[in-house]
Amino acid sequence: MLSPGIIAQLEKIVGKPSVLTTKEDLATYSYDGTTTWSYAPEVVVFPTSTVQISEIMKLASDNRIAVTPRGSGTNISGGSVPTRGGIVLCTTKMNRILDVNKANLTATVEPGVVLQDFYTLLAKDNLFYPPDPQSYLSCTMGGTIAENSGGPLCIKYGVTKHYVLGLEVVLPSGYVMNIGGLTVKNRTGYDLLPLFTGSEGTLGIITKITLRLIPKPAARKTIMAIFDDMTLAGAVVSSILANGIVPAKIEFVDNFVIRRIEEKMQIGLPVDANTMLLIDADGSLAAVESEAEHILELLKSGGARIARLAKDEAESLVYWKARSAGFAAIYSAARTVVAEDVTVPRDRLSDFIKKLDEISKKFGFPIVLIGHAGDGNIHPSVFTNSREKEDLDRLEDTLTAIFEAALELGGTLSGEHGIGLEKKRLLSKALDPMAIEVMKQIKAIFDPNNIMNPDKIWEV
Amino acid sequence: MKSIKLTELAKVEKEIEQCMKCGFCAFVCPVYQEEKVEAGLARGKNELVKRLISGELEINRELADRLHKCTACMTCTANCPAKAPIPRIVVAARADIASSIGMRFPYGFIYRNILAKRNVMGRLLSLSSLFQSTLMPKTNGFLRHMPDFLSGLVKGRQIPSVASKFLHRQLPEVNRPAGGMRPVMRVGYFSGCMNEFVLPHLGKKVVDILTRHGVEVVMPKAQGCCGAAVFLGAGDFKTGRKMADANVAAFKDVDYIVTDCATCSCTLTEYSHFLADTPERKEAYGKFGSKIRHITQFLTDVLQLPASAFMASAEVKGKKITWHDPCHLNRHLGVKEQPRRILGSLEGVQYLEMPNADRCCGMGGQFNLLNYELSMQIAQKKVESIEAVDADIVVTACPGCQLQLTEATNRFGKPRKVMGIMEILD
Repeated sequence: MLSPGIIAQLEKIVGKPSVLTTKEDLATYSYDGTTTWSYAPEVVVFPTSTVQISEIMKLASDNRIAVTPRGSGTNISGGSVPTRGGIVLCTTKMNRILDVNKANLTATVEPGVVLQDFYTLLAKDNLFYPPDPQSYLSCTMGGTIAENSGGPLCIKYGVTKHYVLGLEVVLPSGYVMNIGGLTVKNRTGYDLLPLFTGSEGTLGIITKITLRLIPKPAARKTIMAIFDDMTLAGAVVSSILANGIVPAKIEFVDNFVIRRIEEKMQIGLPVDANTMLLIDADGSLAAVESEAEHILELLKSGGARIARLAKDEAESLVYWKARSAGFAAIYSAARTVVAEDVTVPRDRLSDFIKKLDEISKKFGFPIVLIGHAGDGNIHPSVFTNSREKEDLDRLEDTLTAIFEAALELGGTLSGEHGIGLEKKRLLSKALDPMAIEVMKQIKAIFDPNNIMNPDKIWEV
Repeated sequence: MKSIKLTELAKVEKEIEQCMKCGFCAFVCPVYQEEKVEAGLARGKNELVKRLISGELEINRELADRLHKCTACMTCTANCPAKAPIPRIVVAARADIASSIGMRFPYGFIYRNILAKRNVMGRLLSLSSLFQSTLMPKTNGFLRHMPDFLSGLVKGRQIPSVASKFLHRQLPEVNRPAGGMRPVMRVGYFSGCMNEFVLPHLGKKVVDILTRHGVEVVMPKAQGCCGAAVFLGAGDFKTGRKMADANVAAFKDVDYIVTDCATCSCTLTEYSHFLADTPERKEAYGKFGSKIRHITQFLTDVLQLPASAFMASAEVKGKKITWHDPCHLNRHLGVKEQPRRILGSLEGVQYLEMPNADRCCGMGGQFNLLNYELSMQIAQKKVESIEAVDADIVVTACPGCQLQLTEATNRFGKPRKVMGIMEILD
């Protein structure tokens, strides 16, 4: 337990109401969006300024107390779960949007800003920040940087790291370090920004973020296509890209999800359909119209049973709402649900789908597919209602098989969720041992006492 | 810890598993939006309950206070990808907490001894009205759910003006259709404590409108308080059952039971879900609940009155009006279009839809007594919406919302008149 003296010092730094210590409050900071990980912190603090965070880190450093940064706790890697107790440093009260610069196309925000609030403010100025993790309604900006989040739009627009121009970071020592700046071009020594975009909170606390923005595309059209054969759908995705078209989104939903969505929302999807593709084209109106037409042709010649253009924004919203309800449909399907995050090269999607079918048959678990077909990140999800150890072990084996299949096709362990606790047992299979060693050394430079979100990413 | 019986939570174990911890409720939960603290969030409360069941946490005041930090607005459920009914789980938890460690003083005493007995409540209120003008500030227009008002008495809150003659003394038990018409149907009128004790003229108006359209209106003297504060707010299911039994017995042989209070209409339909502990009660409460209609539902859906049947009273003519959705009406009962249809058909008034009209005002019954400042912070957001359309009159259908909005518009913006929907009809 932390001594009363430490608690008193934390109260002095952030004020008494911003320090939580009751068993009840601590229990609510012991989890994130994953199903299994749970460790309670010894104290939760809500700083509201960089200075406060710096003082907290100095105190933690001097006393070797583990600090786990957390925003809204929507991450699905176990990354914000405080394995060693210690301090949970929660950024939700540090949530000001400091600047939106229309002429420089940049914005500067604090880490606790909720992504949707940021979108809403930008929309007033016709500005656009593309990274769209599907937790955008609640996730905080600091979390999206630390996890280098992606989403459906990333096929065309890239992931979070492609938009980060500058960061203010409080290092474990308490030092406040500024890196990057306000310019799109910045070639000044080693680029340290990418160390923090995807650092999963293991190197420091992100306290200020400067982001690159783009003007909002003038038009958008949604295309819905139904396939009777999943591998055909996968092949069409590759052919769209091969034809020089990069749509804003290409999303993929299988029969299981189509049926669940139709049960919940009744929007008229054919429940016997094997696969649904949802494709968005955006840009200038003329460009969008010709792109949509081209995509429709490719879908039809690629074997789509139905391929249609949403007639208006309302119809398009219905499809996208259904898509975002898809994950809930999966998660509510069984007691234990693991949504994998493996990602394969986009031209190997069909091969991967075939492999997954084989794995499902071999291990006897259903594998449901819903995800970002456009970037090969189709989130195969495995689930079971069983609580038997034997079944749960077999589930682990299934996940390993999925990962190995992805790797064989030139894919990767995690597309956008990160490693955290959830995947660290697999890291050594995915990376060059020297790469892991370099990571550990980088961690040691920033965090010699190993107090900054310890136990994450790799196994010791 | 396993020795404590979690009877009500055991019944919702499946619902508790529905939450998949995505945290999407954070964007819509009015409590979390103000505090940004996980225990106030729907997901956080569900996790507290899970840990109570597992034995990691125990029933104590700390836990109770956190589970009372929910306005039961149901916005989380409405926006939940898995439709997890967390506010209902919270009510079940409140029940198990209440039967284990009781309610905070003085709520328990008041609920058991006053609210459950309408004659006692009446006598007490008559008594207090005598002193109201001299001992307490007269606050015309400040009104609230009577149960909360009574509890609030102790805290020195705003006091509504108590009517000199209660509704049931002003109207007979059976009100025949006007002009000797043959009744088209027989309907029970559930007056609710507010109309019974504070606004009897409104109750008379409801009865008048119904009888004018050929409805025979029965107003049983044996009806009591709906029990919202008692079993939904405080989790006192035992007293709640007594109140439910009395109300069910009071309304026999009617086609529908109509009320103009959003909270009453919702609460009466909830008897079957929360209080039915025997097959007999399940059947009786279920039958009773299926007959409940809010007045806006009854007029538009059952009587199917045309737009021309609704006329604005002189007081609101020429004014800009806007509608605030009571959570009990909008999300709990799904009554969204009916009041808007009525308001939209009024000639001579300008009806404006405010942004986020269905956002919780922060009242939440007992919630606001235990968390007054937080409740006001939530209300401030609502005032911003009202200011955005700059309405002269805010119309709603819940005495609790009405009190909250009157107070909040006074405190945070331009003072505005807040009226019940039946009040503005001619």
